[in-house]
Amino acid sequence: MMRRFESLLLPLRLSWRQLRAERARLLAAMAGVMFACVLVFMQIGFRAALFDSATSLLSAMRAELFLLNPLTTASFRPEPLPRIRAHQALGIDAVRQAVPVYMAQVTWRNPENGTRRTIQLVAFDIESDAMGFSGLPALADALKQPDAVAFDRRSRPEFGDVARLLEARQGTPLPVQIGGRQMNVMGLVDIGPSFGADGNLVLSETNFRRLLPNRDFSSADLVALRLQPGADPADVQARLRALLPPDVVVLTQPDLVAWERRYWEEATPIGFIFTFGSLMGLIVGMVIVYQILFSDIASHLREYATLKAMGYSNGYLARVVLSAALVLAVLGFVPGAVASAILYDVVGSATFLPLGMSWGRGALVFSLIFGMCAAAGLLAMRKLRDAQPADMF
Amino acid sequence: MTDPVVLEGVSHAFGEGELRRLVLRDVALRMAPGEIVLLTGPSGSGKTTLLTLVGALRALQAGSARVLGVELAEAGEGQRLSLRRQIGFIFQNHNLLGFLDARQNVAMTLEMQPGLGERQRLARADEVLAAVGLAEHRHKPPSQLSGGQRQRVAIARALVGEPGLILADEPTAALDKASGHEVVSLLRGMARQRGVSILMVTHDPRILDVADRVVAMEDGRIVSAPPAGRD
Ligand SMILES: Nc1ncnc2c1ncn2[C@@H]1O[C@H](COP(=O)(O)OP(=O)(O)O)[C@@H](O)[C@H]1O
Ligand SMILES: [Mg+2]
Repeated sequence: MMRRFESLLLPLRLSWRQLRAERARLLAAMAGVMFACVLVFMQIGFRAALFDSATSLLSAMRAELFLLNPLTTASFRPEPLPRIRAHQALGIDAVRQAVPVYMAQVTWRNPENGTRRTIQLVAFDIESDAMGFSGLPALADALKQPDAVAFDRRSRPEFGDVARLLEARQGTPLPVQIGGRQMNVMGLVDIGPSFGADGNLVLSETNFRRLLPNRDFSSADLVALRLQPGADPADVQARLRALLPPDVVVLTQPDLVAWERRYWEEATPIGFIFTFGSLMGLIVGMVIVYQILFSDIASHLREYATLKAMGYSNGYLARVVLSAALVLAVLGFVPGAVASAILYDVVGSATFLPLGMSWGRGALVFSLIFGMCAAAGLLAMRKLRDAQPADMF
Repeated sequence: MTDPVVLEGVSHAFGEGELRRLVLRDVALRMAPGEIVLLTGPSGSGKTTLLTLVGALRALQAGSARVLGVELAEAGEGQRLSLRRQIGFIFQNHNLLGFLDARQNVAMTLEMQPGLGERQRLARADEVLAAVGLAEHRHKPPSQLSGGQRQRVAIARALVGEPGLILADEPTAALDKASGHEVVSLLRGMARQRGVSILMVTHDPRILDVADRVVAMEDGRIVSAPPAGRD
């Protein structure tokens, strides 16, 4: 046991002493690993943040099951489904509420400077508890008034500082021109911008009809189903599938989020771009580490050959090289992770993307960086063959 | 005690086909325990090649070579590796690791020996360094030592593992006359004390006096090998 431990520890110590002896080379290697590390952290961070924000509207919806037109590819352009399906779903005892949800995009005139921008409308029976958007229950009564809407406080700043304007009006509604009609912002809810929508408004079904009178209200864009307490969503999902015609799909909340996410991942190049970016970072990092390890071996060939002559095995020397790779991985990762955490903060607050460091992501990036360094080490190790003890004399 | 080196009919060639060249022809050599043998001869006569064969650094092609009781004609890579751990090598250049200090370099030899802790390794390195007169230089890297001092560190490194045999190839080539002789005398003294035999290649006539026996080579053959024995 002790032997085993030593046979790993001694090569590690030797490689550390060798790396430490050449400061400039060590710093160059560390900078290379750090660079790769920051690049991968940023790419993975952006990717996750974009996909998370792509689904923030759907993630905020709290219903257990949803009915959707199977042709709907993304929530910002839903295909309608017959409203009657909501009533049919109520035929199953376990379904407590079936709430049709209507979505549309209209223009919003910035109350501060008059610029226009497209905003997402989400309409449903406010009295039901279909959505569970935070901040909504307190506004339920206010939203029953004609032309009342609630504004998503996490909408992008281009819509105007609605929170500040509302506060300035001390409890009276804020008039805003929405879709060419004068509406009143009654209060704020929490949803978050997504790919398809920079901002959100929540309103009652009645007010939605008033705003868009030409819409056909025999169909809805989504139906949210709330179940009886204790009902098993998977079980109800199966029963609904059997009951309803194939012009709707029945999704659980995680299914719905995954559905939307899959669209952004597969039907757009976004996922590929970031995967490609990460890969480039890893390749550049690997080349740098390989160069450093290779030149370390090349400039110490005599010493390595001497060690072989003294009876050091190839395996031992291979462990020295791999340990050097491991040391570089750790030395580059630590400052790289710190720099990335700082960059996440800076970039996150500038772009409103939910960028954040997590243990899981740290572990993922470390294993990528470790793999990168190990691959560089395995490649550089081939140079050890050139250390021929017989040619030493 | 068995003889540390027994060579019979050792031949060796480099190259293939047309380019094949015999550099050792039917070499026979026997060293007695504790004997110090100097191998001389013109450049290109095959001395180094013979030394690398005895040191298990090359595979034996023809003949029989028994080194420290191991028959090299039958030894695999693993056996040759473990045999090398029982041999102290001293090279023409010191070949010390530049990023380690003198004592760490010497202790490297002991890292392959099971059952020794770091403390024991360093203590034994210190002992041997003191014996070669470098006690106060043990924390210096090779770059801060003189040529003679470096070669003495190399001697300490070869001896610290208590080898059964020392192989040295022109250890004085990089040194001036005075320090060359000093280093070789030191090596001889320490080997005597420990009863270790030495096979040393040199064409430095000034150090022939340290030998028990001088063996001359020419064109791959041993031309004069007076019988082992001291007076
Ligand atoms: N690795 C090798 N490949 C081919 N020829 C070699 C090699 N090593 C030595 N030789 C040749 O073998 C001959 C003997 O070399 P060597 O043993 O080094 O002689 P010495 O040490 O007596 O000067 C020389 O002609 C040399 O050129
Ligand atoms: Mg030679």
